[in-house]
Amino acid sequence: MTKKRLNKLVGRVGGIKNLVLTPLASLWLLTLLLDIFTPGKIFSPLGYLYIAIGIVVLIYVVWPLYKSRRLVNYYWQRVKKNKLAVVGLGFILFLILLALLGPLFTADPTAVNFEEKNIPPVGFSVEESVYHAETGQFITKTASGTWGHPLGTDNKGRDLLAMLVSGAGVSLQVGLLATGIAVALGTLIGVVSAYLGGKVDNILMRFTDIMMTFPFFLLLVFIVFIFGPSLAFIVLVIGLTGWTGTARLIRSETLSLRTREFILAAKALGASDGRIVLAHLVPNVISLIVVIATLSIPGVILAEAALSFIGLGDPSVTSWGMILRAGQQSLDVTWWVAVVPGVMLFLTVLAFNFVGDGLRDAFDPRSNV
Amino acid sequence: MRKTWLRDYIIKRLFYAVIIAWGVLTITFILVRVGPTSPADKYLANLAARGEEPSQVIEAIEARYGIDKPIHEQYFDYMGNLVRGDWGWSFSTSMPVIELIKKHWIYSFQLILLSTILAAIVGILIGIYSAVKQYSKTDYIATFFSFIGISIPNFWLGVMLILLFAVQFGLFKTYYDTSVPLFSLANLKQLILPVVTLGTAMMAGYTRYTRSAMLDNLRKDFVRTARAKGLPERTVIGKHVFRNAVLPLVTIIMFDLGSIVFGGAYLTEIIFGIPGLGRISFNAIFADDYAVVVAVTLISAFLVLLINLATDIAYAYLDPRIRYD
Repeated sequence: MTKKRLNKLVGRVGGIKNLVLTPLASLWLLTLLLDIFTPGKIFSPLGYLYIAIGIVVLIYVVWPLYKSRRLVNYYWQRVKKNKLAVVGLGFILFLILLALLGPLFTADPTAVNFEEKNIPPVGFSVEESVYHAETGQFITKTASGTWGHPLGTDNKGRDLLAMLVSGAGVSLQVGLLATGIAVALGTLIGVVSAYLGGKVDNILMRFTDIMMTFPFFLLLVFIVFIFGPSLAFIVLVIGLTGWTGTARLIRSETLSLRTREFILAAKALGASDGRIVLAHLVPNVISLIVVIATLSIPGVILAEAALSFIGLGDPSVTSWGMILRAGQQSLDVTWWVAVVPGVMLFLTVLAFNFVGDGLRDAFDPRSNV
Repeated sequence: MRKTWLRDYIIKRLFYAVIIAWGVLTITFILVRVGPTSPADKYLANLAARGEEPSQVIEAIEARYGIDKPIHEQYFDYMGNLVRGDWGWSFSTSMPVIELIKKHWIYSFQLILLSTILAAIVGILIGIYSAVKQYSKTDYIATFFSFIGISIPNFWLGVMLILLFAVQFGLFKTYYDTSVPLFSLANLKQLILPVVTLGTAMMAGYTRYTRSAMLDNLRKDFVRTARAKGLPERTVIGKHVFRNAVLPLVTIIMFDLGSIVFGGAYLTEIIFGIPGLGRISFNAIFADDYAVVVAVTLISAFLVLLINLATDIAYAYLDPRIRYD
């Protein structure tokens, strides 16, 4: 009898994995909220985010992909034909390795050393006037790049390469985690809205309209201004405000799926709403979700960089936006500090755009946008 | 029949717009109220920093912000004040917020207007050309540059333009000069770099969109018919293909205003020191001047709302196929 009950419960929430996942997710969200708003942290909030998103990715991405290896192989063959997508994928892998392994080989990105300030990258040299204490005059000195600091140093003598490696980690974290939250939320809202229709649809879509009315970056600035900047909070805010576009796209895709035969068949067999949404609708929009997620990562990374650039980023981490800010403030002396992080940002955005376009073409040969 | 339908449609859209406006106001109110520090705290801290005696003004502030009232009364006061045009007091500039905005909106407006118009014209022209000459060298170059334009972070582009054209070549000033009259050539000249900064991503997007929409329409049956009946190629492209391809672009341009352009203009104004709404909001953030930040956020949201409403209604008039579900 208990087994029957359990089966009924499992059926109601849409399969055994959701039975495990739902309490886990709620528990995590609760601890996360507690963590953000209490000063003494048990565990870094970003750590929680990683674990939670790791679990979701494992259940909804890795496991289904593993189950349909043949299909994955088929799509991979098609993505492989797109040279730009492969190059982009290569760059993203390089970036991940840089962020993971780089800190082992580079110096402390926050170490200030005024003895070695304003050193240009290797291969460049700059002239600067230095105050000579003994004669009391300014003399012109030529500084050239050294291999000790391959990308040079900023006006406080911090190693640019080390800062760049640290920034890669920050950008990837923000990009992947915030996109994960935004896309998950957008998918849920879009699918539920389309599937239930009627009043629920109306309310959810009006709410989406309201959120879309705020210009994204201005809303971000507004919220971070009020609540204060910390990396985990910025990730959360981008995730909680950036889901609107996804929700709209997923909703319209689901609307066309809703009346298809396999959904009707599932209904006729007595599947619950939860099961239909999670076991039939979501897997069928997964290719769209993957494309949307890949193409939203650049915007998220840029949003965080722009926040740091205007001085609203987490002051305790070195991000690309912050380096760019430092570079802009001493543009006439250390131009390289402004150039290098921007190049990295640009290449990262380009790489994700290439991969996203490649995936879209592979999944849907009809679209040629 | 269509006329009454149109009237109903407009009424419905207006009704939605009111709901959205209410939602925007409510969300802003909640965010400010839930925030860890109250505006009064920041105001007090500011006064203390300037060496004034806070205790004397506490009552005045509480009355001004209505902190002592119950929350629902604060909520209605907040709505009522905004509707009456009382947008609060900016203590960092010592003037009413509404006056501050009246003084500065024109700088944002000129930047956004010039960038959008230039980006649309150039983007559409390049897009048409590369669609008509598909797979030509120009097409490849245009596609390549539009990809770069879309991916380049606009604030970095701004900094690089300053580095190159202002610091290295000395062609422009690194900073926007407000003493230059608005309607003068000198003002246009100092807007060149900001307009390029803000307009590049838009232009690249419009190029890509126009190209693909033109290509889609070039394959349609009515184009074949038009060619078969012997119309000159110029008429086929200009009338049949272009008109069908470009109408949806209007929506995209309007949508971009809210999603990309306002944020981009915010950053561009900060980089170049243009004293528009973005810049005053930025200054207000670092002076903890709540009222200004709230006002700029609200104004931008309301502008998006109005633009969307206008676009939707214009569309309903122009395109007979539109139905609202």
